[in-house]
Amino acid sequence: MSGGPAVRVSMESQCERQVQEVSLDGLETYVPPLSMSQNLAKLAQRIDFDQSSDSEQESREPWSALKFQPSLWPWDSVRNNLRSALTEMCVLHDVLSVLKDKKYMALDPVSQDPSTPQVFQLISKKKSLATAAQLLLKGAEKLTKSLAENQEQRRQRDFNSELLRLRSQWKLRKVGHKILGDLSYRSAGSLFPHHGTFEVIKNTDIDLDKKVPDNYCPLNVQIPSDLEGSAYIKVSIQKQSADIGDLGTVSLFRRQPKAKPGSQMWHLKLEAAQNVLLCKEIFAQLSREAVQIKSQIPHIVVKNQIISQPFPGLQLSISLCHSTGEKKIQRASPDKSKPDDHLYVLEHNLHQLIREFHKQTLSSVVMPHPASSPFGHKRLRLAGPMAYDKAEISSLQQSEGLLEKIIKQAKHIFLRSRSIQLQLNIGVEQIRVVHRDGRVITLSHQEQELQDFLLSQMSQHQVHAVQQLAKVMGWHVLSFSNHVGLGPIESIGNASAITVASPSGEHAISVRNGPESGCKVLVQFPRSQAKELLKSDVLQEGRWTHLRGPYREVHWGRMEGRNFVYKMELLMAALTPCP
Amino acid sequence: MEAPPVTVMPVTGGTINMMEYLLQGSVLDQSLESLLHRLRGLCDNMEPESFADHELVYLLKGQQGNPFMLRARRSLLHPTAPWHLRYLGQPEVGDKSRHALVRNCVDVAASHSLPDFLNEMGFRMDHEFVAKGQVFRKGAMKVVVSKLLRVLASGNTENTEPMSLSYLVELSILAPAGQDTMSEDMRSFAEQLKPLVHLEKIDPKRLM
Repeated sequence: MSGGPAVRVSMESQCERQVQEVSLDGLETYVPPLSMSQNLAKLAQRIDFDQSSDSEQESREPWSALKFQPSLWPWDSVRNNLRSALTEMCVLHDVLSVLKDKKYMALDPVSQDPSTPQVFQLISKKKSLATAAQLLLKGAEKLTKSLAENQEQRRQRDFNSELLRLRSQWKLRKVGHKILGDLSYRSAGSLFPHHGTFEVIKNTDIDLDKKVPDNYCPLNVQIPSDLEGSAYIKVSIQKQSADIGDLGTVSLFRRQPKAKPGSQMWHLKLEAAQNVLLCKEIFAQLSREAVQIKSQIPHIVVKNQIISQPFPGLQLSISLCHSTGEKKIQRASPDKSKPDDHLYVLEHNLHQLIREFHKQTLSSVVMPHPASSPFGHKRLRLAGPMAYDKAEISSLQQSEGLLEKIIKQAKHIFLRSRSIQLQLNIGVEQIRVVHRDGRVITLSHQEQELQDFLLSQMSQHQVHAVQQLAKVMGWHVLSFSNHVGLGPIESIGNASAITVASPSGEHAISVRNGPESGCKVLVQFPRSQAKELLKSDVLQEGRWTHLRGPYREVHWGRMEGRNFVYKMELLMAALTPCP
Repeated sequence: MEAPPVTVMPVTGGTINMMEYLLQGSVLDQSLESLLHRLRGLCDNMEPESFADHELVYLLKGQQGNPFMLRARRSLLHPTAPWHLRYLGQPEVGDKSRHALVRNCVDVAASHSLPDFLNEMGFRMDHEFVAKGQVFRKGAMKVVVSKLLRVLASGNTENTEPMSLSYLVELSILAPAGQDTMSEDMRSFAEQLKPLVHLEKIDPKRLM
């Protein structure tokens, strides 16, 4: 330290004076320094004269410990600091010079991060991007999950709303985790032992990725296997009896009923199954009655067909046609039965009759009063107290079964089809009359017209009846005219006339029937039987007496017989001599 | 004259032995409406049938054994309808798995001279009550919801007061002996009424 050359240190005192004011042009005005006397005064003010006189002896001892250096000058601390700084610098210089040689001392760098700032940036960017990507991926995952949930919910909601619609039309109940329904008529009064239970299943075979088909339904119903397909009851009347081999083979089928727009598949399925059930019930009831009820001509029940004969030569066939729709329908004899052979009216009536029967079991007549008594017709409950006998009780029971009613209706249809001559179509403004032989007549609203028309038809009909009767009795029709031009003019329509001759030719009957003039019947006798016969010399041989001669009128009003046809029949019979 | 002997043989009504399958429960007055709604939906589709009946219970006390009990019931709404006489036997002690109470039942319709007849036979009226309510039907099952009213003055059915604040619900089927499938149908029907009313087999002997 003291060995080195002297270092010249130059010092300069700082002009440390407080700035009093800085003028606008930047000139600083300093506070003038304190003069000697001002400084002395300031220092003197600091002296506490009271304290110094008291604590003089006390504070002398710690002060004596302190040694005064007489050569202490104000720059001493500065000099010391400078000196230590010089020392430091010299040491540093020495170390550096030694290091420069690298013989005795070497620098070892401090281990640092080997990556360059650029690589570091890349890595940090990568990390931050990865974090950002992860956040985005998480968000996307959440979105897809929520979307899938939404779709699933929508499908669920569709199932639920569809289930609600199903429930509004059909009876459903929940058994365990299955949803079952009832499509039988039991709650409407049927006593058929079929359970009629269907099951509702969720339709899960849908691919959400593909487009949803139009007729997609989230609900599916499973109906009992024996109610699948569709069925109807076929009632037909045949004139000739079918062959024995053909019995039980009726399986022809008509077109499928068109689906109403907007009706769901399950609705169609359930309706078809319910119809099948009802047809089965009707057929079961009919066949039960066919076997039990004793009638003159026994009914034949073969497989799905019931055959009975309401009239001799007439055959009524009732059959249950059930097609499951899967296997091919076998056509029994497509050429024999015509489509209009099927009497739809009777099929409809069968349905109505069975529904009537259902309603009867539900009527309040069956309900017990008092409440503890068993169910049963209220009149039958009086059988005990009123001591009814067997005849009275049987009269209370149901009089006619389904089969008897249908046979009666078939008979009526048959008779009506035989005897109907005209058909009245009553419209809004006019009445249209279609005659059996194809004539169409339009009448106005005045009822007199219809009356007149019917009267004229009646008179024509009577003459036609004579014609038919002649055919039956073996008489020959000599002349027939619907509108005769002879005789008095009718005000309503025209008179019609017919002349028929007996089989032997001896007698002839002439009938003139008019709507107004009524019926006039004349009989022609052979000449031999005529009383007032003029003898003529033109006819010389006796065989001419067999020819028919004069006419005689019949007092038709006094003729025996309930109606015109009976009377005519009697007359014809009377004029036909027995051999 | 000594009292006629009370028969201990099982009573049969003619040739067919009819059994009554019974499940009973009760609902409070305030829950009646919801129960009626439920029954209206579950049972056959008919107009609800109300009834008001007056029942008299007759006992024939013999020297030995339990007195013989007969129930005579008439309708107050249909005065011309015949009286209904009923005998109910002891509940059959079959297997415990049977869900309903099964007992022998004989139902007879009688004319209006029934009370006099029973009195002449030696029966004495033990108690009487009036039952009012509704009857529902599902196939062969009968559901009777009735309010039992106490008759204050004997014979006067106008003056009555309710016995309790609840309605008695009874599910019953009348069937020939031997058909046990009924109890299954009854149980499934009772299940459907489950939260509203609990129908169960109540042994009358346990109540006494």
